Amino acid sequence: MSAEHHTHPTPAQYWKIAVVLAVLTAIEVAMFYIDRELGLGSLNALILITLALLKFVIVVGWYMHLRFEKPMLNRFFTAGFVLAISLYLVVLASLGVVVIRGG
Amino acid sequence: MSDIAHEAPVAHHEEHESTGIDNRKLGMWIFLSSEFLFFGALITNYLLYSNRAGFEGIYPAAIYDIPFTSVSSFVLLMSSLTMVLAHNALSRGDQDGTRTWLFATAALGSVFLAGQVFEFTEFIVEYDMTLATNPAASAFYVLTGFHGTHVAIGVIMLLSLWGISRRQGSLSERHGMNLELVGLYWHFVDIIWIVIFTVVYLLSVPPG
Amino acid sequence: MTATAERPQATIFKRPTATTGIWSWLTTVDHKKIGIMYGYAAFFFFILGGIEALLLRIQLAQADAEFLTAGAYNALFTMHGTTMVFLFVMPVGAAFMNYLLPLLIGARDVAFPRLNALSWWIFFFGGIFLYSTFFFGTSLAPISPEGIPGNLAAAGGPGTLHFLADSPDGGWFGYQPNAGPLYSPGTAMDYWALGLQILGLASLISSVNFIVTVFNMRAKGMRLLRMPVFAWMSTVVAFLLLFSLPIIAVALFMVTFDRQFGTLFFAPVGGGDPILWQHLFWLFGHPEVYILILPAMGIVSEVLPVFSRKPLFGYSAVVFAGAAIAFLGFGVWAHHMFASGITPVAQAAFGLATMTIAIPTGIKIFNWLGTMWGGRIRLTTPMLFAVGFVAMFTIGGLSGVTHSIVPSDWQQTDTYYIVAHFHYVLFGGAVFGLFAGLYYWFPKLTGKVMNPTLGKTHFWLQFIGFNLTFAPMHWLGLQGMVRRTWKYPAEVGLEPWNVVVTIGAFTIAASILVFMYNWYTSRRRGQDSGIDPWDARTIEWTTPNPTPEYNFATAPVVSRLDAFWHMKYDEDEEGRAVRKDDADEILAHLEYDGRNPSAPIHLPSPSYFPLIMAVGIPIIFYGIIYHTTMWGKALILIGAVISLSALIGWGIEPLEEESPVEAEDADEEDMELELVEVDDE
Repeated sequence: MSAEHHTHPTPAQYWKIAVVLAVLTAIEVAMFYIDRELGLGSLNALILITLALLKFVIVVGWYMHLRFEKPMLNRFFTAGFVLAISLYLVVLASLGVVVIRGG
Repeated sequence: MSDIAHEAPVAHHEEHESTGIDNRKLGMWIFLSSEFLFFGALITNYLLYSNRAGFEGIYPAAIYDIPFTSVSSFVLLMSSLTMVLAHNALSRGDQDGTRTWLFATAALGSVFLAGQVFEFTEFIVEYDMTLATNPAASAFYVLTGFHGTHVAIGVIMLLSLWGISRRQGSLSERHGMNLELVGLYWHFVDIIWIVIFTVVYLLSVPPG
Repeated sequence: MTATAERPQATIFKRPTATTGIWSWLTTVDHKKIGIMYGYAAFFFFILGGIEALLLRIQLAQADAEFLTAGAYNALFTMHGTTMVFLFVMPVGAAFMNYLLPLLIGARDVAFPRLNALSWWIFFFGGIFLYSTFFFGTSLAPISPEGIPGNLAAAGGPGTLHFLADSPDGGWFGYQPNAGPLYSPGTAMDYWALGLQILGLASLISSVNFIVTVFNMRAKGMRLLRMPVFAWMSTVVAFLLLFSLPIIAVALFMVTFDRQFGTLFFAPVGGGDPILWQHLFWLFGHPEVYILILPAMGIVSEVLPVFSRKPLFGYSAVVFAGAAIAFLGFGVWAHHMFASGITPVAQAAFGLATMTIAIPTGIKIFNWLGTMWGGRIRLTTPMLFAVGFVAMFTIGGLSGVTHSIVPSDWQQTDTYYIVAHFHYVLFGGAVFGLFAGLYYWFPKLTGKVMNPTLGKTHFWLQFIGFNLTFAPMHWLGLQGMVRRTWKYPAEVGLEPWNVVVTIGAFTIAASILVFMYNWYTSRRRGQDSGIDPWDARTIEWTTPNPTPEYNFATAPVVSRLDAFWHMKYDEDEEGRAVRKDDADEILAHLEYDGRNPSAPIHLPSPSYFPLIMAVGIPIIFYGIIYHTTMWGKALILIGAVISLSALIGWGIEPLEEESPVEAEDADEEDMELELVEVDDE
């Protein structure tokens, strides 16, 4: 409904988003080294996957403007994403791969 | 009262578009949604083999250069910023800004690709891990290689737009839509890398 | 939308302008012409696949036969399956979708006409690429150091026609590591893997095209739940293609890497996992069987109401059942792998999921029966095929349910029982449905009706032949006849039924000859169809036959389901259909208006570039097969240059050329006059 051009973020907001993305990436890399020292195991995996998903959602939502588009595009895109995740998780499970491994 | 009324004829391109979304944009989003299945299969392949015990030769997870890859991931992430700034500049009618940001995006993409070439070379020369060393190495090269191919195609498309803009002095409305499409593709390639960076580089460990 | 706003720019070639003759076909972007080309190409491959099947049946008609060598037999069953799935049923589905989808939703063309042409040409060259394996491919003795029996292709042995063995012989499913570099050396399986890759690319492009067409190009008032069922099933198929093709693309790339670049993804020798191939293949392969059957279900859902003179029973139930089949179809792939050692939990889960597919399928079957129930049934040729579809598909569906019971499936795996099952759904189902569609929509192509006597002869021959061929396979399989077996000893007593099967196969071949004769003569001398030969219900019949280039002279506006029917019929107090007094006048008006557009209609202009771009792709793929040689590398380069130049030309060329008359500053009125004059002739 509110998918109008003037609701798009401004350049200043794009820069702010980039800073957020950069910080999240820095935390990810830091987590890699913290995990090496402390051996957080699956907690580390949980944190890293959450951070990656956060970055993913930010890029899709703001840079790809999906937040501001008609819901139909969101449905198509989410369908592909959810389908891929669920199918391949089943494949990995039935092949005996533990998907998330701790350090 | 007939069930099929008839209206004045309209030209093909003015035909009623039922969703109100531009055909090409809708097509691009639909295509990108199918790319999840493409990269998903490659990532699955990597996860299956990356720490399966008993392969001959070195495992990719044993030799990742995390600081280096972090920098190149950061470069690709920032190219999404320049891409969106190019799009924004065009929507404000700022043709010079568009051109500059387009070029910056292509340049950052090229830096990322150069980094990948360097990484592959190092793995092959320093560690003797080639495409055929073992399934873990194969899966790594095929996954990151297909991603790199996507980036390279993106760079070519960005440079084409940049070239058109330079030659004609501005981007027409039609190319404005092309820029938006290239942008969508570019961000998508970026989010795939966000996943690869975490799952392949940060989270995978060699067996044992 | 904006493409036309620009002036045409200088292009390398002069824009093609031919409207008749060979160039009009090579450069066309008209969905109808593309659909017709898909249809003829698919039928050509149907003949090839059929000949392959007949050769197999000659071999099996006799115990201990020595008609074919083992290698030739392996190659023939591989190419028969690959051809029928990828080069016949899928493209015939594409032919129907191309021709009909825009007409059914009231559009002038698909969303991306040039991409549509590109899809077709990529498919066409992909088919040629795949079949060129018979000329260029090689199949060598297996490199199996441990003495594991590899493929028999090069082993030769007794039999004739051994020259056919130099072609893909790993089955249409290409199981690994049998189809890998160790057990199938030589280039034949590379032709197979890369050929399917090309065909997949074509289908992926058209799936995006069709989805956008359905969501964006519908006529005013054509809401999603007013679309004819065939349009719905096309949409569902497009989504299945969209999400399943990338999976097989990756799997085929991995095979190609294994075979060409020394990776070991699927070779247990190097630690690879053959079961991964089975997962990836059937993740694609199971949705694929719904890709094959859903267009036929759509056709039957159009044909049954027309010849029962009743609306489709439970329209929305049929639509949602189709969508549900597609959705569930993604979750059952491992039922092809019950014998591969997957865990008991997985077997139970996939067995249950498979059983649930019977629910939406059953809904459809009962809706079709409900449509016929109490209707005034006319047993025309299309109706016979549609009823045949329902009956045969039900048998195939029921034997399918028996596979979902895991212990039973273990017994059936790799026996002729499986062969019987999937031919009942794919031949008894899909092919009967597609023939129903061909007879039903033939008037739209030609303005003629196919000869009904020959049509009924075709139906009964095919129906009897089909059941003679595939029904005995059920008991042959349960008696233990193994699938893909080259020969069987006389002592096991399988010969009598195998003779029956072979007689059935030749009966089917005879029925197809009747069809071809009927098609050929009806095109020339068939009875004129008029605008509404079947008293139809949907809006594609509001245009004259054969369909004008622009489809609809004026853009239709639709206010309900079965809109065309309600133009002709009212309801009386008891809800019975009563033909309006002026129905014939309405038809005459539609005919006249349809042929005489009141204003010029802009259509997308023809283009060389889809054809040129598609030419480059098989050249690149030939190069990949021979990439170790200099000329292989040269081919990759040449192909890439051809495709990229076409891409550039495509980018510069606008979708619709402003007509030359307009360009030379003639004004709109002249144009209009000219058009009217031409049409009056």
